[in-house]
Amino acid sequence: MPLRMRRRVQPVGDTATVLDAAHDIGEQLRDGLHGRGTASAARRLRRLIRADALVLADLERPLAISGPPPGPGELTALLARTFDHGATARHAAWTAVPLMVAGELTGALAATGADERDLEAAGRLVARSLDHSALRRARTRIAQAELRTLRAQISPHFLHNALAVIAARIRADPDRARTLLNDFADYLRYSFSSQGDYATVAAELQATQTYLELQRARFDDRMEITVRMAPEILPVSVPFLVVQPIVENAVRHGLEPRPGKGSITVSGFGEGPLCVIVVEDDGVGMDPELARDILAGQWQRPAAEDIAGSVGLANVDQRLRTVYGPEYGLVIETAPGQGTKVVIRVPRFMRGVQAGGPGRGGRASGPAGPGATARGRPAAPPQSESAHGSPGRAVG
Amino acid sequence: MTGLLAIGLLLGVSMLIGVYGVRAARSTPDFLVASREIKPGWNALAIAGEYVSAASVLGLAGLMLKHGIGTLWYAVGFTAGYVAVAALVAGPMRRSGAYTVPDFADYRLGSQTIRKLCAVILLVIMWLYLIPQFKGAGVVLHLVSGTPYWVGVVLAGLVVSVSILAGGMRSATYVQGFHYLVKLVFIAVPALVLLATAGSEVRAEAFHVDLTAWSRPLLDLDNSGQPLLATWSVLIATTLGAAGLPHVIMRFTTTQSARAARRVAVWVIVLLGLFYLFPAVYGLLGRVFTPELATTGDTDTVTVVLPAVALPGTWGAVLTALVAAGAFAAFLSTSSGLLLALAGGLSHDLSRTGATDVRRLRLAVAAGALVAVLLSLPAAAVDINVLVGWAFAVAASTFCPLLVLGIWWRGLTVAGAAAGLAAGVCASTGAALASVAVDAPHGWLTVLLAQPAAWTVPLAFTVMYGVSRLGTPPEWAERAVLRLHMPGGDGYPRR
Repeated sequence: MPLRMRRRVQPVGDTATVLDAAHDIGEQLRDGLHGRGTASAARRLRRLIRADALVLADLERPLAISGPPPGPGELTALLARTFDHGATARHAAWTAVPLMVAGELTGALAATGADERDLEAAGRLVARSLDHSALRRARTRIAQAELRTLRAQISPHFLHNALAVIAARIRADPDRARTLLNDFADYLRYSFSSQGDYATVAAELQATQTYLELQRARFDDRMEITVRMAPEILPVSVPFLVVQPIVENAVRHGLEPRPGKGSITVSGFGEGPLCVIVVEDDGVGMDPELARDILAGQWQRPAAEDIAGSVGLANVDQRLRTVYGPEYGLVIETAPGQGTKVVIRVPRFMRGVQAGGPGRGGRASGPAGPGATARGRPAAPPQSESAHGSPGRAVG
Repeated sequence: MTGLLAIGLLLGVSMLIGVYGVRAARSTPDFLVASREIKPGWNALAIAGEYVSAASVLGLAGLMLKHGIGTLWYAVGFTAGYVAVAALVAGPMRRSGAYTVPDFADYRLGSQTIRKLCAVILLVIMWLYLIPQFKGAGVVLHLVSGTPYWVGVVLAGLVVSVSILAGGMRSATYVQGFHYLVKLVFIAVPALVLLATAGSEVRAEAFHVDLTAWSRPLLDLDNSGQPLLATWSVLIATTLGAAGLPHVIMRFTTTQSARAARRVAVWVIVLLGLFYLFPAVYGLLGRVFTPELATTGDTDTVTVVLPAVALPGTWGAVLTALVAAGAFAAFLSTSSGLLLALAGGLSHDLSRTGATDVRRLRLAVAAGALVAVLLSLPAAAVDINVLVGWAFAVAASTFCPLLVLGIWWRGLTVAGAAAGLAAGVCASTGAALASVAVDAPHGWLTVLLAQPAAWTVPLAFTVMYGVSRLGTPPEWAERAVLRLHMPGGDGYPRR
């Protein structure tokens, strides 16, 4: 942790040092006031505003004290006064400022021996860091909600088509119809399963395969499916339903509009500590600009399009980036008439990402519980990272 | 010349398998059914293929020539290590989902500091392990083509990095499995032929047992006069070291389930047990045919030199070519596995942002190979098996305690793990370096420096345990440990 180990003397007015300190404090408070960085944040704050002693408190009790602590009665009185008035309060040698997060009183920052304006500025800094940590948690929750939405979004058209295809074959080819019905049941079970937020690549592939089988029957076997998978990556855990939406996208927007035979290739392999999954089709492709817009979530679908359109790609991309960090988004290589290639490239192991467990989503929580975030990673700048590789590259 | 041809052929076939055969390609949708039928056998072959290194093919026979039959305790330890792996590590490691040891540390302790510390130790072990591989390649190339040692080493570095960069990046189960078979056949066939053609006189001499001298049962390192201590130290290092070797641990996470992981480990024991019968033959025959190597110090060459000496003429040349190709396969598969593990640690765990892309991984492979080549150039005089022994000793005194305590004891804390790892790595590498630098008087001190596992492993365990007892583990530690032992917790689909 280079950030936390950095210790330096601060000459007055060194802008970079102050900004560095502000950044460090933001990082230390990324789990909120009750995270485990609170004590180091208090120490850093105390040096930043050159206070003799400093206390970070929530509404009930002091959480971190740096320097010689105040008398117990002294602190209680000080905090009570701050919370009562919701404004800066003084008691003996101590001054306290309230921490207002999103307009709500959540705690107080108290110090002695510091300049009052410095203390107030520090209070605003802490409040903003706490606000950020709340937003970060909200982002995780949103990602989970999106996952549930995606699960609920199995296209009604697909359900209808699948059942119609099966019905059409029941007399002519009862065996095939039976297999298809089994596939359909498996697919539904997987899509509706509530076993955590992660699945193994093998399970993802199985769902994809059953989906493709149904689609193939619908296409009257005009579709060729190739799966090339290195056995090493089958047990790797990935977010639930990341492969199937991409394949669905390839079928619906790549192959369906295209006359004649089409083919889809799903391949996967290990690349050092990474796991790579590639979905390729030789369908109609799309404009690279459009691919970029879809990933950025800026694309408005034409009104005629039905509900479960390309929302899949953007959703998968967003979830991958929420779980693994902004560098691990989808990469789309496409051009009109040239087919589409979508690449998922994720680490084989990421703390908290584990199939079959009671995972709770996001990289801030894992099987080993809270307080164990992926520290040291830069927070994902919301929507601004263009880490989509080269969406403009055409497939040969 | 035939030797070079054989090596070239081996390289070509490996590349072909790497490019076309790595990924099970199927155009029919029954792929997953088929993929689940992949027997643990292939995975075991791959592990054995990666594990049987130049140390086993060249070093074991060489050290045997120098130190006597007791050297075979190394082979016992190399194999017995998988008993420890199967019993203590394989299943829980698979359930943790962790791909590397730093991953496991992150899973179990939730600390990025420990993750980085583990990555640094991983680099130390991998480099210690890579040096003898490159040395082996340099020696073999020197013998078959007469090029100077450094040319061989540099060439080996190039071959390995290029073969990884040109597609070997995809962890290649089938290539490694193929290499195990190559090694087994190319080492076993010449050994059997030589035994058969050697004549009864030679056989009698080779198998003559004299308990006082060369064929004493215990390993007497550098005539230190402490054979029991030396033997135990080697056994501890190799047995526990195997349970802490990062590139071996990696393989178990690619199995389907915890149960399969353990079964793979058992198969590996069988495969290794079979293989290690043959280096012993070269050692025994080498003492009869090429005893002069023990005085010149080039003992690591005995496996390659022996066929031509024992069987002059065309057949000898053919057998030499086979053995050289086998040795090169050993070098190739082990060092590409090591280099990939090293590059992963360098680019994934030690980078500032934690993100990995292909370019960085390639860069890390090249950098790792370069450092290994530079380190191997001055290592010509050090025995292959001694270097590998150190790699095992470091693994045994760092990752083995971390994995064993992390898996079986919920009380492990971040501070304890950090202290234990630091103590283990400092003590074991320090002792190894000291044994090269200092000319210690013969006796137990020589053994404790040259083969430090006997004291560094208990030290690491004690420090890790003691320091952990001072602190309190986080409340989720119990759940994290429980998960490692939960049946069926591997998330594999079942129908």
